[in-house]
Amino acid sequence: MTRVLPFLFVGVVLAIWEAVARSGHWSPLLFPSLAKIGNELMLFFTKTEMLAEALVSLERALGGFALAAVVGILLGIVMGRSRVVAALLDPLFSGTYAVPKLALFPIFIFVFGIGSLSKVALVFLECLYPIVIMTYAGAREVQEKLLWSARNMGASRAAILRRVVIPATTPFIFAGFRVAVPVAMIVVVITEMVSSADGLGYQVIYAMASLKTDRMLAVVVVIAALGYLLDKAVVLARDRLIYWEKLDTYYV
Amino acid sequence: MAVAKASLLIALLLVWQLAALRGLPEYVLSPFEIARFFVQALGSSELYENIGASLGRALPGFVLGSALGALLGLAAGTARWFDRLLSPAVFLTYPVPKIVMLPIFMIWFGIGDLSKVLIIALACFYPVFINAYTGARQTRTILVWSALGMGASRWQVFRRVVVPSAAPMIFASLRVSLALSFIVMFAAEMINARSGLGHMIRVAENSLRFDLMYVSLVAIAILGYAGDRLVRLAHSRLLAWQQP
Repeated sequence: MTRVLPFLFVGVVLAIWEAVARSGHWSPLLFPSLAKIGNELMLFFTKTEMLAEALVSLERALGGFALAAVVGILLGIVMGRSRVVAALLDPLFSGTYAVPKLALFPIFIFVFGIGSLSKVALVFLECLYPIVIMTYAGAREVQEKLLWSARNMGASRAAILRRVVIPATTPFIFAGFRVAVPVAMIVVVITEMVSSADGLGYQVIYAMASLKTDRMLAVVVVIAALGYLLDKAVVLARDRLIYWEKLDTYYV
Repeated sequence: MAVAKASLLIALLLVWQLAALRGLPEYVLSPFEIARFFVQALGSSELYENIGASLGRALPGFVLGSALGALLGLAAGTARWFDRLLSPAVFLTYPVPKIVMLPIFMIWFGIGDLSKVLIIALACFYPVFINAYTGARQTRTILVWSALGMGASRWQVFRRVVVPSAAPMIFASLRVSLALSFIVMFAAEMINARSGLGHMIRVAENSLRFDLMYVSLVAIAILGYAGDRLVRLAHSRLLAWQQP
């Protein structure tokens, strides 16, 4: 029974949807049938233009994320190992953490142009915070015992960094990544919805403006699947790299 | 100490101001100009109306989504059958950007405030659900056993043991969901609204009113910061017993 329950919920939701779609009470614009959505989904994957749109969004998300990962890990580790740098940067990050960076987007459009660059820059900025904060937390809390032992055994500063600090920080870095990856997708989709002429977010808005609810839902399904797969990829990479510590979650 | 903490910020502002003296592009205002325009805007009713409209969307969405998330998360963390029923669907859809549902919500619930409140509630639901769930599951079994051994009813165990031990996790997620509510509110207003800070910044952008753009930006920054402070204050007040 417990094995069936997870599917039961999803199944019931889909069944209600189909029943509503077929009842004829509501316009198919509100609830297109699953068959129609599936059909649009097929079209999506057979048309190269649409796949190119997905690629555009993916490039923006991953580009901004990769930049944020490089800069964020560097900053976080330096902050964790140097009191002075931490004292300088920590107030800056924790003070502006709760501020919605999305509000900078209109200014970014003027500074970086309306193309991909302004979107990548915003993804970078939004992803930077979780990565820096988690890396900093990890690098700060490397066990003194380990550092002392390494030093005692004659390890150089570089060796300590590479062999002790970075491995001890890696689980935290990945915790930051797991927060940052969905954020990257959110920012890309929002910025594409607000101002763009390409990408999946734009396709959602475009399909809605042309009253193609079925196509819009198909694009939403694609975005959802992308978000899910990216998260899975991070978890997979994490489990390969940090084989000594399993992720303590139940379903994910 | 406060000065030392903010030293980098002050230095950045100073460099920015000095750069402005040497001439910046017209869409980058200097800190002093921004402050002057903001004070000016504080004197007009436009800013307050937009802030009111924005908060009128963000706060109901935040309360609704967080309350549902905490309730269902606690329920899924304690009742096995409910966990099996609901949690897989929640964890499966967790990494999905919830804002993509906005157009659908607009079709279903109209382009007014209802669709925006609901999309904000949807976004706020997830972090609170996951933390309430994890917090409830991390309740120490020994405490539950002791309570049961002393004759507590199931409801009492839930109320007196499970909820207090999940509370710190729930508060941690409230910080996240409040920040999210502002982000989603701003995004929804930029995409489609006739009032609010997101709308204000769009209008300013389209009419090249850079002053209004920065006023809206400063307003949302202050709101986000103040909201975060309030949640942290409530946390330390309500859960004084678990402070380090």
